[in-house]
Amino acid sequence: MFEELLLILPMMIVPMGAFVLMLLSKTFSLDRLNLVAVFFLSLSFIIEIPRFGETTVRYSFPDIFGKMYIIDDFSTLFDLMFTAGAILTLLINTAYFKSRDYFSGEYFALILFSVFGMMTLAHANELVTAFISLEIASLSIYALVGYHKNNKISSEAMMKYMILGSMTGAFFILGTAFIYGVVGSTNMGDIAAYINAPVDKDLTLILVGGTFIMVTILFKMGAVPFHSWVVDVYHGAPFPVTMFMASTFKIALFAIALRLFLIDFASVKAFWSEILQAITILTLIGGSFLAITQNSIKRMLAGSSIVHSGYMLIALSSIGVGSEMAAPAIMFYLISYFLSAVGAFGILSFIASDSKKMMTYEDFKGFSERRPYLSVMMAIFMLSLSGFPSTIGFLGKFYIFTSAIESGQILLAGLGIATAFISVYYYFKLIAMMYFYPSSDKQERFPFEFSTVLIGVMAVMVIWGGVGTSLIPFIPGANGLIDIAKQAIESLQTVL
Amino acid sequence: MDPILSYIIFLPMFTVLLLGMVRASLPALRLGAVLSSVLVFVLVMAVSVDFDPDGGMQFIRILPWIAHYGITYYVGVDALSLVLLILIAFLMPLLYVYMWKERRKGYWYNMMLLQTGVTGAVLSFDVILFYLFWETMLLPIFIMIGRYGNGMHQFNAMKIVLMTVLGSMSMLFAIFYLGYRFFEHNGWWSFALSDLSTLQLDPQTSIWLTGGFLLAFAIKIPLLGFHTWMAPAYGSAPTPAVVILSAIMAKLGVYGLWRFGYGLFEETLSYYAPVIMTLAIIGLLYYAVHAIMEQNLRRMFAYSSGSHLSLIALGIFLVNIYAWGGSLYFIATHALSSAGIFIMIGLLYKRARSVTIDDLGGIASVAPRFAFFFLFFALSIAGLPGTGGFVAELLIIIGAFKVHFWIGVLTATTMLSSMLYIFWMLQRTMFGPVRTSTQDFVDLNGREMAMLIPIMMLLLITGIVPSLFIPLFEPYLNSALQDVMMTIGAK
Repeated sequence: MFEELLLILPMMIVPMGAFVLMLLSKTFSLDRLNLVAVFFLSLSFIIEIPRFGETTVRYSFPDIFGKMYIIDDFSTLFDLMFTAGAILTLLINTAYFKSRDYFSGEYFALILFSVFGMMTLAHANELVTAFISLEIASLSIYALVGYHKNNKISSEAMMKYMILGSMTGAFFILGTAFIYGVVGSTNMGDIAAYINAPVDKDLTLILVGGTFIMVTILFKMGAVPFHSWVVDVYHGAPFPVTMFMASTFKIALFAIALRLFLIDFASVKAFWSEILQAITILTLIGGSFLAITQNSIKRMLAGSSIVHSGYMLIALSSIGVGSEMAAPAIMFYLISYFLSAVGAFGILSFIASDSKKMMTYEDFKGFSERRPYLSVMMAIFMLSLSGFPSTIGFLGKFYIFTSAIESGQILLAGLGIATAFISVYYYFKLIAMMYFYPSSDKQERFPFEFSTVLIGVMAVMVIWGGVGTSLIPFIPGANGLIDIAKQAIESLQTVL
Repeated sequence: MDPILSYIIFLPMFTVLLLGMVRASLPALRLGAVLSSVLVFVLVMAVSVDFDPDGGMQFIRILPWIAHYGITYYVGVDALSLVLLILIAFLMPLLYVYMWKERRKGYWYNMMLLQTGVTGAVLSFDVILFYLFWETMLLPIFIMIGRYGNGMHQFNAMKIVLMTVLGSMSMLFAIFYLGYRFFEHNGWWSFALSDLSTLQLDPQTSIWLTGGFLLAFAIKIPLLGFHTWMAPAYGSAPTPAVVILSAIMAKLGVYGLWRFGYGLFEETLSYYAPVIMTLAIIGLLYYAVHAIMEQNLRRMFAYSSGSHLSLIALGIFLVNIYAWGGSLYFIATHALSSAGIFIMIGLLYKRARSVTIDDLGGIASVAPRFAFFFLFFALSIAGLPGTGGFVAELLIIIGAFKVHFWIGVLTATTMLSSMLYIFWMLQRTMFGPVRTSTQDFVDLNGREMAMLIPIMMLLLITGIVPSLFIPLFEPYLNSALQDVMMTIGAK
């Protein structure tokens, strides 16, 4: 009993923190609420760390809940990323919260609730649980997107996201119903067992249901036929929220997608391979078009986040067709994208906290003279996002493209490289803006700020993840991270 | 397992990190840059003294990097690398002397990073590692052109980056595919050049992959048709960047062709040979004609450099000992003379604030020392007997005649055409009436002479006693040539 409670402890700490925050929201100042939120998240984070690598798969309260809540290295790794993402979002944006008057205590509670939703999503071994978790996370995010109540753009983004998101959410539950109708269970292991059972059966409804579920996931990822919300929502949301969505929420969707494709639908995946390929191609091309035409950095990053989903979709469609590295490649790419996106958005919101500017490319002219360190970091994140070697982003792309080639998807890999080339343009444009133009006001002294230190750490990690050797123990570099990714995926596959 | 090469590669970068962290003042930065480059030069000298010409690849150091894919940190040096290594180490301190009065800190940082990039590219024998350095060396160039350049520098910086990245992306794709084929064949991953070169590919695939690599090198060299970035970039770049561009980076295109082209795809290259040789021969003439017409000195020597690099590329594809020896020799001597001439143009621009031929004239009467050095380097570009360029060009032309009479004839035109534009240019800039911009032309001072004399001396030594240097790389060339001949012959 106690041990089973201990298993779900890290996940339970987070909503508890959210409740505490709601109770305190009227009495505490924003700064202290922020710290309280960070405290609960860090507690959860610290409890999770030693858990990674235990390799055993466990279920919490299997007698009561069946096997719907799974604890394995895969979910632990995702938990770590979610909590880390939330902690970084909160800490980097301390200045931003103070600079805008519309933030209130509930904001932090909402962030914690959505982290809770994502965590349960990573642990969900059952479709209804997955749906509920997805909705918990999404609902909190809808509210967060529209947090600037009096701002038309923010409200518009919220409406757009909520209506479309709820509608596609319905697809998920419909697909679950179809699958339940055939299998008689929504447990992932049972579905897989049903599909794999060597008896004569009709899989049509499972395929239809699976397609519906895929629609939801692809929508939330921002894959191209379902992408129309991405740029507007990212643009309308307050910076910290955009940062949270782009870096953390995006990862959560791959948690469920990987679990579904590696366990549930592993044996019928071939049915979707062409659909998936078509979507991948559309996502890569469409995302590039969206990103290349933007003038605002926030919108450009939103567009480019679609392209990054596209890269991961390349690997997703390579899973199970010849490359055992495809799934770890996605995990690695998630880590690499997480680090670079948190850093890039972090810098943007840090700058936005002391100016009300729109942040277009033009605004970055001469940035290297105003803030030399920040611009070096920004350049590092841009290089990593564009997949320039010696950053973690390059290795992420390396793993994805080699696994795609390995599984015979040479065209996809080629297209991926072509879009990576296009991305060089819009990422380098920002570097060019920062470094090519002189600035009128040079700054010599910089106040010590905790957020910049954090961003600096992220930048070092981006580089270390790209070149880091295994010579220094305990700090996973380029080599260690892929091992971690592999371990997580292996733990996922031991279920079957 | 000697780490000396790693010191050579990373010393400048660590200097940058160290100085950047403490926000070093300008004098400290300058001192750090000069010290690091001198130290690197000393280390390189130590390497070249210990270097055994018959020993193949030496000073090898292999460290695991990304274990799962068999990517290693694999550095070493052989005769081909050594030539470029010495050049880089030799030119960098001189460039710092040129930059001595430079007050913009970013300039110094970028130069040091650039040195790490180009040195690393020359010394890596793992394809992924090579790609890493090949890409990273672009970044300082990008920033230097965009930040400190002139004219449409922002646009031109973007142009050079996009074009080069296009090439390297195609190479990257070929690298991935090659690595995968190796894995498929052997069951384990490796990206080491020595492993990949053992791979037997079917002709169709091989042609595609070679194309991927060739595109990268063709853009870097640049061969005709891939050259549109060249003149704008040379025209806009600040002098130290131009020197590195023409003396080192363009050579790296040829180096890549040699190392990876012949290392990986000996057989398939003969499929591309007619195309590339045609492009190189046309390029040779086309660039020369362009150089004749050009008014801007930077752009003129950009085209001249393109013409000579086409000659080197042609020499590589002629596949005989004269042409290969000449090409390698020309890599070294052309690097020296183009470094010299671009430094002279930089000094000219500092004094006259213009590099357009019409604005210049009569410099010889105002500043005789300047005119002497300018003449010397310009003539060494044209292949003046007594300078290294003459020996090298002669060797390539002999090699060309060995292959085919008409190829030889066409190749020989470079010497003529370069004489044409060089002499005409000299006549209009150094001699003739003094213009307003050259009235108060200040002659060279001691520091500038100190920087130019080593280059001049080296050019003279390479020209008068080539036998001093040729034994250094002859064994390498012979064995490499034998390999190629065997593969082509066996086919």
